[in-house]
Amino acid sequence: MARASIIIATRNRPHLLPQAVQSAAEAGADVEIIVVDDASSPEASAANKSLPSIRYIRLERNQGLGGARNVGLLASSGEYITFLDDDDIRLPQTLDEQIEMLEREPRAGLVYGQAIIRSANARPAGEYPRECHQGNVFWQLLARNFIPCGSAVFRRSCLSRIGLLNDSIAGIEDWDLWIRIAEIYDVLVLPKPVLIWRKGEADSSQYTSRADQMVSRCVKQFREWMKLPRVCDAGPQTRRVVLRRFSENMMAHLLYESSRAVRHGHALQAMKNLAVLPQLSPLTILSLARFRLLRLERRPIENVATVAK
Amino acid sequence: MAGRDVEVIVVDDASTDQTAQVCRSLNGIKYVRVDRNQGVAGARNIGLMHSEAEYVTFLDDDDLRIPGSIDLQIRALSEKTKAGFACGGMIIVDQDYQPTGAVTHPGYPSGDVFWHLLEFDFPAMGLSTLIRKECFLRAGLYRKRLDGIDDWDMLVRLAEIYQAVVIPEPMGIYRQPTAQSGQGSSSYAALLYRVAQHQKQLFKLPRVTGAPNKTKRAVRRGTLNRISDTLLARAAFLMARGELGLAAENIKVALRLRPSRACRPQSYLKLAQLWLTRPHMLYSS
Repeated sequence: MARASIIIATRNRPHLLPQAVQSAAEAGADVEIIVVDDASSPEASAANKSLPSIRYIRLERNQGLGGARNVGLLASSGEYITFLDDDDIRLPQTLDEQIEMLEREPRAGLVYGQAIIRSANARPAGEYPRECHQGNVFWQLLARNFIPCGSAVFRRSCLSRIGLLNDSIAGIEDWDLWIRIAEIYDVLVLPKPVLIWRKGEADSSQYTSRADQMVSRCVKQFREWMKLPRVCDAGPQTRRVVLRRFSENMMAHLLYESSRAVRHGHALQAMKNLAVLPQLSPLTILSLARFRLLRLERRPIENVATVAK
Repeated sequence: MAGRDVEVIVVDDASTDQTAQVCRSLNGIKYVRVDRNQGVAGARNIGLMHSEAEYVTFLDDDDLRIPGSIDLQIRALSEKTKAGFACGGMIIVDQDYQPTGAVTHPGYPSGDVFWHLLEFDFPAMGLSTLIRKECFLRAGLYRKRLDGIDDWDMLVRLAEIYQAVVIPEPMGIYRQPTAQSGQGSSSYAALLYRVAQHQKQLFKLPRVTGAPNKTKRAVRRGTLNRISDTLLARAAFLMARGELGLAAENIKVALRLRPSRACRPQSYLKLAQLWLTRPHMLYSS
């Protein structure tokens, strides 16, 4: 039985997968690599299957990213688990470093790291996240997902307490899982790059076109998060602040995506993005102006949480 | 009791009552405590993660397995290596575990049961089915958003890829919800409505998209007819008990799904007769 499992879900990208698998094999000493092939075409499957030192699982029917990763979880045996996208690259030995951190700190459930963002033209675009929050990050995480998916390593035992991935929220299933882990466990961070992360290509309209749907989905899921026991126990002030921060983040994202859509000539998509704005808290525009444009200092969210208690 | 070499995994889905104490006092089970409520499908997936066996079956906390039934199903599956799951009948009992006299049985032979399952014409549930665990690695796990109809969805997806072994004997005892137990009737109408809605999603499975339109239409029609008949029968039953609100709800759903059927006077006539002769039939689908 391996110490750690790296689960790679892939679909029809046999040209990218070998690089990801190779990097996964060098990420740690005692690692099992599980490739879940989410109903790729037969040619792609044949190529994927022939990769060395992997456990290959082929899904006959497309299950989506969340469903495929859940199948990977079922097949895995490692005590520590991490997901890797088929177009990302894990940096060597980083997994072992992160696991050692988790072993030193029994109260922590998850450790993440930074990602080097690589855009389509291979120009490095800096490290993400710049600010590495640690410890009790639940409230910050509700407002914004700052954990790069491939950088997070968590304990298998977390899953028995909080459940597997939710397969009905495409695109934010990892965010949802981090929130549910952070609700109960502490979160650690290895403040250095562990991952090379390929962002959606700037020119492709694919990412842009989904911004409105994505934000609607986030808003819907946020209402579910607001029902978590820890949120229910917190005071109304904390809940208000979290909602404000979340809305602010979503609004900034929508405005950014809209301006990008306009730049690429998708005026209709920009309108669609802006049409989602009324779903957000109306006062958000004020705080957006205050903190993003005027760059005023603001109280960290955890202070608000403790004051409210 | 249900088999010779069985591990029992109890997934406690964030109960707030004495479930934890009761489970700790039980011998020979693997107890998994979930701290955040997951729903049936999520809890089943967690149970799957903890199981080590080659075959799995799912049992609700108020249902029973018949002694030896798992051994029977294992033997059937090991003989037929191409099959992915084994189904059997169910004995239906009421809330006090008194037999209602109804015994369901999937009335089709072993082999490809996909179209019958898709048509909602194949009474099989978690408790009457034994599944080869490796099948989940090809068909996917239970879907969380389908709580309540998750086992039907799972079996349809399994049957699309795998053959089934049908065993004539009953495998489990199903404690059916009745109108008195509150949870029953109104939610049952909602459940059947969800079945009809979710079937549209299942129609996107490759085997359905590859089938001729005539087959698809026939399956859809068959399902809607069956569901609206069941709903109308329940409505007649509830009306006789004086629960008019629930009855109206059942009729409303039937009207919504299949207006042409629900408006026919003869469907009421026929079902009233059915109810007069064999009341337990109403629950057996």
